[in-house]
Amino acid sequence: MPTDYDKGAYPEPPRQTPVVDKQTALPNPAVILSKLFYYSVDLPVTTFRDAVDSIRSKNRPVYFHQKFRRVPDLTECQRGDYLCYYEAEMQWRRDYKVDQEIVKVVQERMRACHQREGSSYQQNCSNEIQQFTEVTHNFQSRYGDLGAYASGRKCLMKQKERMIAAQAQTA
Amino acid sequence: MVGMSVLRSAAAFAARLSPLKSGNNAANLLSRAVPRADKVAVRWGHGKKMFVIKPTDFYDRRFLRLLQFYILLTGIPVAVIVTCVNVFVGEAELVETPEDYEPEYWEYYKHPITRWITRTFYDSPVKDYEKMMAAIQIEKEKADMRLTQLEVRRQMRSKGDGPWFQVETLNKELIDYSHKSNPDN
Repeated sequence: MPTDYDKGAYPEPPRQTPVVDKQTALPNPAVILSKLFYYSVDLPVTTFRDAVDSIRSKNRPVYFHQKFRRVPDLTECQRGDYLCYYEAEMQWRRDYKVDQEIVKVVQERMRACHQREGSSYQQNCSNEIQQFTEVTHNFQSRYGDLGAYASGRKCLMKQKERMIAAQAQTA
Repeated sequence: MVGMSVLRSAAAFAARLSPLKSGNNAANLLSRAVPRADKVAVRWGHGKKMFVIKPTDFYDRRFLRLLQFYILLTGIPVAVIVTCVNVFVGEAELVETPEDYEPEYWEYYKHPITRWITRTFYDSPVKDYEKMMAAIQIEKEKADMRLTQLEVRRQMRSKGDGPWFQVETLNKELIDYSHKSNPDN
Protein backbone atom coordinates (compact mmCIF):
# COMPACT_ATOMS: atom_id res chain seq x y z
CA MET A 1 0.00 0.00 0.00
CA PRO A 2 1.30 3.52 -0.59
CA THR A 3 2.43 5.50 2.44
CA ASP A 4 -0.32 7.02 4.51
CA TYR A 5 -0.84 10.76 4.74
CA ASP A 6 0.69 12.91 7.44
CA LYS A 7 -1.46 12.20 10.49
CA GLY A 8 -0.13 15.25 12.33
CA ALA A 9 -1.22 17.72 9.67
CA TYR A 10 -4.60 16.07 9.11
CA PRO A 11 -5.69 14.81 12.55
CA GLU A 12 -8.60 12.42 12.61
CA PRO A 13 -11.70 13.64 14.43
CA PRO A 14 -12.53 11.80 17.69
CA ARG A 15 -14.57 8.65 17.15
CA GLN A 16 -18.22 8.99 17.98
CA THR A 17 -19.25 5.32 17.92
CA PRO A 18 -22.22 4.98 20.24
CA VAL A 19 -22.26 2.31 22.93
CA VAL A 20 -24.39 -0.65 21.78
CA ASP A 21 -27.33 -1.01 24.15
CA LYS A 22 -29.66 -3.56 22.55
CA GLN A 23 -33.02 -3.72 24.26
CA THR A 24 -35.00 -5.72 21.68
CA ALA A 25 -34.50 -9.13 20.10
CA LEU A 26 -35.17 -7.75 16.63
CA PRO A 27 -32.15 -7.56 14.32
CA ASN A 28 -30.63 -4.14 13.76
CA PRO A 29 -31.12 -3.15 10.10
CA ALA A 30 -28.03 -0.92 10.16
CA VAL A 31 -25.89 -3.90 11.15
CA ILE A 32 -27.49 -6.02 8.43
CA LEU A 33 -26.85 -3.36 5.81
CA SER A 34 -23.27 -2.80 6.90
CA LYS A 35 -22.56 -6.55 6.78
CA LEU A 36 -24.20 -6.73 3.34
CA PHE A 37 -22.02 -3.89 2.10
CA TYR A 38 -18.93 -5.53 3.57
CA TYR A 39 -19.47 -8.89 1.93
CA SER A 40 -20.67 -7.59 -1.42
CA VAL A 41 -18.31 -4.64 -1.96
CA ASP A 42 -15.54 -4.34 0.59
CA LEU A 43 -14.29 -7.93 0.66
CA PRO A 44 -14.07 -8.48 -3.12
CA VAL A 45 -12.38 -5.13 -3.66
CA THR A 46 -9.85 -5.77 -0.89
CA THR A 47 -9.02 -9.25 -2.13
CA PHE A 48 -8.58 -7.96 -5.68
CA ARG A 49 -6.30 -5.21 -4.45
CA ASP A 50 -4.22 -7.63 -2.41
CA ALA A 51 -3.94 -10.01 -5.36
CA VAL A 52 -2.80 -7.24 -7.70
CA ASP A 53 -0.36 -5.92 -5.09
CA SER A 54 1.19 -9.32 -4.60
CA ILE A 55 1.75 -9.56 -8.36
CA ARG A 56 3.11 -6.04 -8.49
CA SER A 57 5.44 -6.24 -5.52
CA LYS A 58 7.76 -8.66 -7.33
CA ASN A 59 9.07 -6.11 -9.82
CA ARG A 60 8.29 -2.74 -8.34
CA PRO A 61 10.20 0.27 -9.63
CA VAL A 62 11.14 3.17 -7.38
CA TYR A 63 11.37 6.86 -8.02
CA PHE A 64 13.19 9.69 -6.30
CA HIS A 65 12.90 13.39 -5.70
CA GLN A 66 15.19 15.35 -7.96
CA LYS A 67 17.49 17.69 -6.08
CA PHE A 68 18.83 20.70 -7.95
CA ARG A 69 21.98 22.55 -6.98
CA ARG A 70 21.61 26.24 -6.17
CA VAL A 71 23.15 28.52 -8.80
CA PRO A 72 23.95 32.27 -8.57
CA ASP A 73 20.88 34.46 -8.60
CA LEU A 74 19.99 37.15 -11.14
CA THR A 75 21.44 39.76 -8.80
CA GLU A 76 24.81 38.00 -8.75
CA CYS A 77 25.18 37.80 -12.53
CA GLN A 78 27.48 40.03 -14.50
CA ARG A 79 25.91 42.27 -17.11
CA GLY A 80 25.71 40.53 -20.47
CA ASP A 81 26.45 37.05 -19.05
CA TYR A 82 23.57 35.33 -20.79
CA LEU A 83 24.46 31.88 -19.49
CA CYS A 84 24.19 33.12 -15.91
CA TYR A 85 20.87 34.76 -16.80
CA TYR A 86 19.56 31.45 -18.17
CA GLU A 87 20.58 29.45 -15.10
CA ALA A 88 19.07 32.04 -12.76
CA GLU A 89 15.87 32.10 -14.80
CA MET A 90 15.54 28.27 -14.63
CA GLN A 91 16.14 28.34 -10.89
CA TRP A 92 13.51 31.05 -10.46
CA ARG A 93 11.00 28.98 -12.45
CA ARG A 94 11.63 25.92 -10.27
CA ASP A 95 11.18 28.04 -7.14
CA TYR A 96 7.94 29.48 -8.57
CA LYS A 97 6.56 25.97 -9.08
CA VAL A 98 7.59 24.94 -5.57
CA ASP A 99 5.89 28.01 -4.11
CA GLN A 100 2.69 27.23 -6.00
CA GLU A 101 2.69 23.72 -4.55
CA ILE A 102 3.32 25.09 -1.05
CA VAL A 103 0.24 27.33 -1.38
CA LYS A 104 -1.79 24.36 -2.56
CA VAL A 105 -0.71 22.22 0.42
CA VAL A 106 -1.56 24.95 2.93
CA GLN A 107 -4.92 25.51 1.25
CA GLU A 108 -5.62 21.76 1.37
CA ARG A 109 -4.91 21.73 5.11
CA MET A 110 -7.28 24.59 5.71
CA ARG A 111 -10.02 22.91 3.71
CA ALA A 112 -9.53 19.62 5.56
CA CYS A 113 -9.80 21.49 8.84
CA HIS A 114 -12.99 23.21 7.63
CA GLN A 115 -14.44 19.85 6.68
CA ARG A 116 -13.55 18.31 10.04
CA GLU A 117 -14.86 21.08 12.24
CA GLY A 118 -18.12 21.68 10.40
CA SER A 119 -19.92 24.83 11.45
CA SER A 120 -17.46 25.84 14.17
CA TYR A 121 -14.47 26.07 11.82
CA GLN A 122 -13.72 29.74 12.28
CA GLN A 123 -12.95 29.17 15.94
CA ASN A 124 -11.23 25.82 15.89
CA CYS A 125 -9.01 26.11 12.84
CA SER A 126 -7.67 29.58 13.51
CA ASN A 127 -4.07 28.29 13.15
CA GLU A 128 -4.67 26.89 9.71
CA ILE A 129 -6.60 29.96 8.62
CA GLN A 130 -3.90 32.30 9.84
CA GLN A 131 -1.18 30.25 8.13
CA PHE A 132 -3.18 30.25 4.90
CA THR A 133 -3.76 34.02 4.90
CA GLU A 134 -0.09 34.65 5.63
CA VAL A 135 1.11 32.31 2.89
CA THR A 136 -1.29 33.70 0.30
CA HIS A 137 -0.42 37.32 1.15
CA ASN A 138 3.26 36.56 0.75
CA PHE A 139 2.67 34.72 -2.52
CA GLN A 140 0.56 37.58 -3.84
CA SER A 141 3.14 40.20 -2.91
CA ARG A 142 5.97 38.23 -4.49
CA TYR A 143 4.43 36.61 -7.58
CA GLY A 144 1.08 38.40 -7.67
CA ASP A 145 0.40 40.19 -10.96
CA LEU A 146 3.33 38.97 -12.98
CA GLY A 147 1.03 37.27 -15.49
CA ALA A 148 1.59 34.36 -17.86
CA TYR A 149 4.96 35.62 -19.18
CA ALA A 150 6.41 35.92 -15.70
CA SER A 151 10.18 35.81 -15.47
CA GLY A 152 12.89 36.26 -12.91
CA ARG A 153 13.63 39.77 -14.16
CA LYS A 154 10.01 40.91 -13.79
CA CYS A 155 9.86 39.43 -10.31
CA LEU A 156 13.07 41.28 -9.41
CA MET A 157 11.63 44.54 -10.73
CA LYS A 158 8.49 43.93 -8.68
CA GLN A 159 10.65 43.40 -5.60
CA LYS A 160 12.45 46.66 -6.36
CA GLU A 161 9.10 48.48 -6.53
CA ARG A 162 8.07 46.92 -3.21
CA MET A 163 11.30 48.06 -1.57
CA ILE A 164 10.91 51.58 -2.97
CA ALA A 165 7.33 51.73 -1.70
CA ALA A 166 8.39 50.46 1.72
CA GLN A 167 11.17 53.03 1.89
CA ALA A 168 8.81 55.83 0.80
CA GLN A 169 6.41 54.75 3.49
CA THR A 170 8.94 54.70 6.32
CA ALA A 171 10.55 57.98 5.20
CA MET B 1 -52.24 -4.87 -82.56
CA VAL B 2 -55.76 -5.15 -81.34
CA GLY B 3 -55.36 -8.93 -81.40
CA MET B 4 -52.31 -8.56 -79.07
CA SER B 5 -54.29 -6.70 -76.48
CA VAL B 6 -57.09 -9.29 -76.65
CA LEU B 7 -54.56 -12.06 -76.11
CA ARG B 8 -52.96 -10.11 -73.26
CA SER B 9 -56.28 -9.52 -71.50
CA ALA B 10 -57.13 -13.22 -72.01
CA ALA B 11 -53.82 -14.24 -70.41
CA ALA B 12 -54.47 -11.82 -67.50
CA PHE B 13 -57.91 -13.43 -67.01
CA ALA B 14 -56.29 -16.90 -67.02
CA ALA B 15 -53.69 -15.76 -64.50
CA ARG B 16 -56.41 -14.36 -62.25
CA LEU B 17 -58.22 -17.67 -62.36
CA SER B 18 -55.19 -19.83 -61.53
CA PRO B 19 -52.35 -17.73 -60.10
CA LEU B 20 -50.15 -20.61 -59.01
CA LYS B 21 -49.65 -22.15 -62.41
CA SER B 22 -46.02 -21.76 -63.55
CA GLY B 23 -46.60 -19.87 -66.78
CA ASN B 24 -48.83 -17.31 -65.24
CA ASN B 25 -46.53 -15.04 -63.21
CA ALA B 26 -46.26 -11.30 -63.85
CA ALA B 27 -42.89 -11.38 -65.65
CA ASN B 28 -44.33 -13.61 -68.37
CA LEU B 29 -47.34 -11.50 -69.00
CA LEU B 30 -45.85 -8.00 -69.22
CA SER B 31 -49.23 -6.71 -68.29
CA ARG B 32 -50.21 -4.08 -65.87
CA ALA B 33 -52.97 -5.38 -63.73
CA VAL B 34 -52.29 -8.84 -62.28
CA PRO B 35 -53.40 -8.82 -58.67
CA ARG B 36 -51.45 -11.53 -56.84
CA ALA B 37 -53.75 -12.33 -53.99
CA ASP B 38 -51.13 -14.33 -52.08
CA LYS B 39 -48.29 -11.84 -52.14
CA VAL B 40 -49.96 -8.45 -51.52
CA ALA B 41 -49.55 -6.78 -48.11
CA VAL B 42 -52.89 -7.20 -46.47
CA ARG B 43 -53.54 -4.40 -44.08
CA TRP B 44 -56.13 -5.16 -41.49
CA GLY B 45 -56.03 -1.81 -39.63
CA HIS B 46 -53.26 -1.83 -36.95
CA GLY B 47 -51.63 -5.24 -37.47
CA LYS B 48 -47.93 -5.99 -37.46
CA LYS B 49 -46.13 -4.10 -40.24
CA MET B 50 -44.85 -6.61 -42.73
CA PHE B 51 -43.32 -4.26 -45.25
CA VAL B 52 -41.87 -1.15 -43.64
CA ILE B 53 -40.89 1.46 -46.17
CA LYS B 54 -38.02 3.66 -44.90
CA PRO B 55 -34.99 5.39 -46.46
CA THR B 56 -31.81 3.37 -46.63
CA ASP B 57 -29.65 3.14 -43.53
CA PHE B 58 -27.05 0.94 -45.20
CA TYR B 59 -24.51 3.74 -45.54
CA ASP B 60 -25.00 4.96 -41.98
CA ARG B 61 -24.65 1.51 -40.50
CA ARG B 62 -21.64 0.79 -42.69
CA PHE B 63 -19.98 3.99 -41.51
CA LEU B 64 -20.58 3.16 -37.85
CA ARG B 65 -19.39 -0.40 -38.37
CA LEU B 66 -16.19 0.77 -40.03
CA LEU B 67 -15.66 3.46 -37.36
CA GLN B 68 -16.03 0.87 -34.62
CA PHE B 69 -13.64 -1.47 -36.41
CA TYR B 70 -10.88 1.05 -36.97
CA ILE B 71 -11.12 2.49 -33.48
CA LEU B 72 -11.02 -0.92 -31.82
CA LEU B 73 -8.22 -2.12 -34.11
CA THR B 74 -5.70 -0.10 -32.08
CA GLY B 75 -7.92 0.66 -29.11
CA ILE B 76 -8.13 -2.88 -27.81
CA PRO B 77 -4.38 -3.61 -27.94
CA VAL B 78 -3.65 -0.29 -26.24
CA ALA B 79 -6.20 -1.01 -23.51
CA VAL B 80 -4.82 -4.52 -22.99
CA ILE B 81 -1.23 -3.27 -22.82
CA VAL B 82 -2.06 -0.47 -20.37
CA THR B 83 -4.04 -2.87 -18.15
CA CYS B 84 -1.23 -5.41 -18.15
CA VAL B 85 1.36 -2.75 -17.32
CA ASN B 86 -0.75 -1.41 -14.48
CA VAL B 87 -1.43 -4.88 -13.05
CA PHE B 88 1.94 -6.58 -13.52
CA VAL B 89 4.36 -3.65 -13.29
CA GLY B 90 2.80 -1.20 -10.89
CA GLU B 91 3.50 2.45 -10.28
CA ALA B 92 6.77 3.35 -8.64
CA GLU B 93 7.22 4.00 -4.94
CA LEU B 94 8.80 7.17 -3.62
CA VAL B 95 11.99 6.44 -1.66
CA GLU B 96 14.81 8.54 -0.34
CA THR B 97 17.77 8.80 -2.69
CA PRO B 98 20.41 6.48 -1.27
CA GLU B 99 23.85 7.93 -0.60
CA ASP B 100 26.37 8.09 -3.47
CA TYR B 101 23.79 6.88 -5.99
CA GLU B 102 23.01 9.08 -8.97
CA PRO B 103 19.58 8.06 -10.31
CA GLU B 104 19.12 7.90 -14.08
CA TYR B 105 16.96 10.66 -15.46
CA TRP B 106 13.99 8.36 -16.05
CA GLU B 107 13.95 7.22 -12.48
CA TYR B 108 12.37 10.50 -11.43
CA TYR B 109 8.97 9.59 -12.87
CA LYS B 110 6.20 7.51 -11.32
CA HIS B 111 4.24 5.66 -13.99
CA PRO B 112 6.12 2.87 -15.82
CA ILE B 113 4.91 3.96 -19.26
CA THR B 114 6.13 7.54 -18.62
CA ARG B 115 9.46 6.10 -17.53
CA TRP B 116 9.68 4.02 -20.70
CA ILE B 117 8.82 7.00 -22.92
CA THR B 118 11.43 9.25 -21.29
CA ARG B 119 13.99 6.47 -21.39
CA THR B 120 13.43 5.56 -25.06
CA PHE B 121 12.51 8.78 -26.84
CA TYR B 122 13.50 11.82 -24.82
CA ASP B 123 16.90 13.23 -23.93
CA SER B 124 17.70 13.73 -20.28
CA PRO B 125 16.75 17.19 -18.94
CA VAL B 126 20.42 17.80 -18.12
CA LYS B 127 21.27 17.27 -21.79
CA ASP B 128 18.44 19.60 -22.88
CA TYR B 129 19.70 22.23 -20.45
CA GLU B 130 23.23 21.90 -21.82
CA LYS B 131 21.95 22.10 -25.41
CA MET B 132 20.13 25.33 -24.55
CA MET B 133 23.24 26.72 -22.87
CA ALA B 134 25.30 25.82 -25.95
CA ALA B 135 22.81 27.65 -28.19
CA ILE B 136 22.95 30.69 -25.90
CA GLN B 137 26.77 30.59 -25.94
CA ILE B 138 26.84 30.52 -29.75
CA GLU B 139 24.43 33.44 -29.99
CA LYS B 140 26.39 35.37 -27.38
CA GLU B 141 29.61 34.88 -29.33
CA LYS B 142 27.89 35.99 -32.53
CA ALA B 143 26.55 39.11 -30.82
CA ASP B 144 29.96 39.91 -29.32
CA MET B 145 31.63 39.51 -32.68
CA ARG B 146 29.14 41.84 -34.31
CA LEU B 147 29.74 44.47 -31.61
CA THR B 148 33.52 44.22 -31.95
CA GLN B 149 33.23 44.48 -35.72
CA LEU B 150 31.28 47.73 -35.36
CA GLU B 151 33.88 49.08 -32.93
CA VAL B 152 36.75 48.13 -35.25
CA ARG B 153 34.98 49.84 -38.16
CA ARG B 154 34.63 52.99 -36.12
CA GLN B 155 38.28 52.99 -35.08
CA MET B 156 39.61 52.23 -38.54
CA ARG B 157 37.51 54.92 -40.14
CA SER B 158 38.55 57.51 -37.62
CA LYS B 159 42.25 56.68 -37.33
CA GLY B 160 42.79 55.43 -40.84
CA ASP B 161 45.83 53.30 -39.97
CA GLY B 162 44.13 49.92 -40.41
CA PRO B 163 43.63 47.71 -43.45
CA TRP B 164 39.96 48.77 -43.92
CA PHE B 165 38.76 51.97 -45.56
CA GLN B 166 41.95 52.39 -47.60
CA VAL B 167 41.29 54.41 -50.75
CA GLU B 168 43.68 53.74 -53.63
CA THR B 169 45.59 56.90 -54.52
CA LEU B 170 46.47 57.80 -58.11
CA ASN B 171 49.70 56.60 -59.70
CA LYS B 172 52.67 58.73 -58.47
CA GLU B 173 54.41 58.41 -61.83
CA LEU B 174 51.79 60.53 -63.47
CA ILE B 175 52.85 63.61 -61.48
CA ASP B 176 54.65 66.17 -63.62
CA TYR B 177 57.52 67.64 -61.56
CA SER B 178 58.79 69.91 -64.27
CA HIS B 179 58.72 73.72 -63.79
CA LYS B 180 55.53 75.36 -64.90
CA SER B 181 55.15 78.63 -66.69
CA ASN B 182 52.15 79.89 -64.67
CA PRO B 183 50.65 78.67 -61.34
CA ASP B 184 47.61 77.00 -62.87
CA ASN B 185 49.38 74.20 -64.78
